[in-house]
Amino acid sequence: MSGGVDSSVAAGLLIEQGHEVVGATLKLWGGASDSGCCSVADVDDARRVAQILGIDHHVFNYTEEFERSVVTPFVEGHAGATSPNPCIECNRHIKFDLLFQRAERLGFDAVATGHHAQVLEREGHHYLVRGEDNQKDQSYVLGYLQEPILRRLLLPIGAMNKDEVRQHAERLQLRTWDKPDSQDVCFIEASKGRSIFLGQRISLTPATIVDQVTGEELGETAAAELMTVGQRRGVLPGRDGEKRYVARVDLQARRVEVGRLKDVLSTKLKLDVNSLSFARDALANQTRVLAQWSAHGRPMEATLSFDTTWSLELDAPARPVAPGQTVVFYREDEPSIVEGAAIVTS
Amino acid sequence: MSEILYFDHAASAPRRPEVAEAMAPWQTGIVGNPSGSHKAARLARTAVEESRDAVAEFIGAKPGDVIFTAGGTESCHLAVVGVTHAHRKTHEQTNILISPVEHHAVIAAAEQIADHFADVELRFVDVDADGVVEIDSLWKNVDFNTALVSVMTANNETGVCQPLDAVSAVAKGGVPGGAVTHTDAVAAAPWLDLSVVTSTIDLISICGHKLGGPVNVGALISRGPVALNAVVPGGEQERGKRGGTVDVAAVVGLAAAVRATAADRIETYERVTDFQTRLSNALSLLPGVMVTARGASLLPGHVHVTVDGLASDEMLFMLDQSGVCASAASSCSSGAAVASHVLAAMDVPAVRAKGAIRFTMGAETTAHEVTELIRIFSGVVHQLRGDA
Repeated sequence: MSGGVDSSVAAGLLIEQGHEVVGATLKLWGGASDSGCCSVADVDDARRVAQILGIDHHVFNYTEEFERSVVTPFVEGHAGATSPNPCIECNRHIKFDLLFQRAERLGFDAVATGHHAQVLEREGHHYLVRGEDNQKDQSYVLGYLQEPILRRLLLPIGAMNKDEVRQHAERLQLRTWDKPDSQDVCFIEASKGRSIFLGQRISLTPATIVDQVTGEELGETAAAELMTVGQRRGVLPGRDGEKRYVARVDLQARRVEVGRLKDVLSTKLKLDVNSLSFARDALANQTRVLAQWSAHGRPMEATLSFDTTWSLELDAPARPVAPGQTVVFYREDEPSIVEGAAIVTS
Repeated sequence: MSEILYFDHAASAPRRPEVAEAMAPWQTGIVGNPSGSHKAARLARTAVEESRDAVAEFIGAKPGDVIFTAGGTESCHLAVVGVTHAHRKTHEQTNILISPVEHHAVIAAAEQIADHFADVELRFVDVDADGVVEIDSLWKNVDFNTALVSVMTANNETGVCQPLDAVSAVAKGGVPGGAVTHTDAVAAAPWLDLSVVTSTIDLISICGHKLGGPVNVGALISRGPVALNAVVPGGEQERGKRGGTVDVAAVVGLAAAVRATAADRIETYERVTDFQTRLSNALSLLPGVMVTARGASLLPGHVHVTVDGLASDEMLFMLDQSGVCASAASSCSSGAAVASHVLAAMDVPAVRAKGAIRFTMGAETTAHEVTELIRIFSGVVHQLRGDA
């Protein structure tokens, strides 16, 4: 329970369904925070919701594990010019691993969350499916979940849109919990941002921004680690007036290359084989999938292919995907069903 | 509340009925401001001064040396910060010496003022594996700029008692003119006769709710004059050491709590010491369970254990499901169990410190509750170890 409306309603609905429910909030980040899911204020909100619902509430401390499995890889990733998704890592290593293990030890049959996603049971197998509300669908950040977890996972609001969730919140008299959805990385203070957070932990690399088209220097950046491949925001147009996109970040050479859209478009995403995960059965070489590489990105038609390594061949060229990002595969014939996930290497 | 096995007396002791009774007349209707001069004020002032007499007797100090505060944290803060400020007026350098196992009320106050002023240095004395201060280390850390030596009477997490007379000897003998000594006696107050064990200490902090009194009231008591600046100045209440209207009901409650504590101290001490022995013996037989600081001089109400390989969070959860109220001894403002600075100072390995549980008993604890606790905790340890 984060204190937000989704997990609050999820808990309320489970109680109404007759489940014996205990609320848990994870204390994940030990440092300063002004957003996300682990500030003291959010814990207080979650506790208050549990009180209103009349259930026990516990706070579990995973700050050490969070630092080790989420924050450190995030910082190290940036130091190596990759952009890992901390929410996905947190789901994978903390919420849907350590918390599930703990729940089992403590004698619970299932763990429920307020994610906008669904579990489909078909012929004894469990599949992760997109949430009913397209705008809110969170199946992307749960892309690594596999059968043993899905079997014990309840997602009570996955079949609802946000309006319905809010209606339930009102009915359950949780209407004061109309907090805005958290959008940011929970351990980075919005007022300070990524650069200050990273700057306190690694030395950031100043770099020259070079236009691939003309070879001219377009300017400087104070922190090449914060330039993400594919990014346009903050990149000045070239001399020809056309927009430029980050094409390549070379920390050693202290150089960020930018190019026109047509120059940077790519049709192939190389995948980290160690990260490749399938919801159930491994997908065969040349399987057709729909690939999505951001939380609310448009799924793109692609073919999962194995040459000397795994990669994703896109039907249509797309803006490059930053190394470290996760791509989630959905079924081509049933586009709401998650089939697996992997991290993009280049 | 039904079916509660309360083993968290050190967090907050059950409210004594005589406390509620004593406070009742001051909770409704006209309650004069004790600083005023009319009849209602005089009545209130009389109640405050009678309460002051009771607290003075409890500590073995003079009534005029009792400063009422809003609790243990404020008492400790006033001692640390008030003494430091007074010392700074007459010295170019001010050193504060505390133990690393102090309550955060002392540590945070000392760190804050040392951070704030370049001429204030905070030093920590070494402790041994039981968390007892090492006298050699005290000697090494005092010098002629030492303003304050603050060592708690007994630790709130482990119940380990400190050699206060030896601490005083160093503070007075090792510093020209003598450093001021302060002891946080909050945890010890329900158990030890503070007029004896703190007899050589200059400043003593206590609070109400560990004694079955109200929360948000405490006292800082001095033995004779101590150079101490007010931290919250205002009206000249509490002889200028603490501004703000004295809460009559609260100090009356504190007085009732100290009287009741003193009246049944010996009987409670003996009875609970037996429970402590039984509980420690029984828990130490469980797989992976180690009783903390068993060889040290302990408050009778404390049984602190660490469990190899298990997490405090999980044990507390299961205990709670069975109605047992206990604690991990240290928790942050969110309510999550956090690593204990006390166990860290004692060099308890992290794998054990993560599985720390504190059971604390008091005057109300019964033999039956102790038996039930042993039964329930045995089940918890076995289930979490997977051999239930």
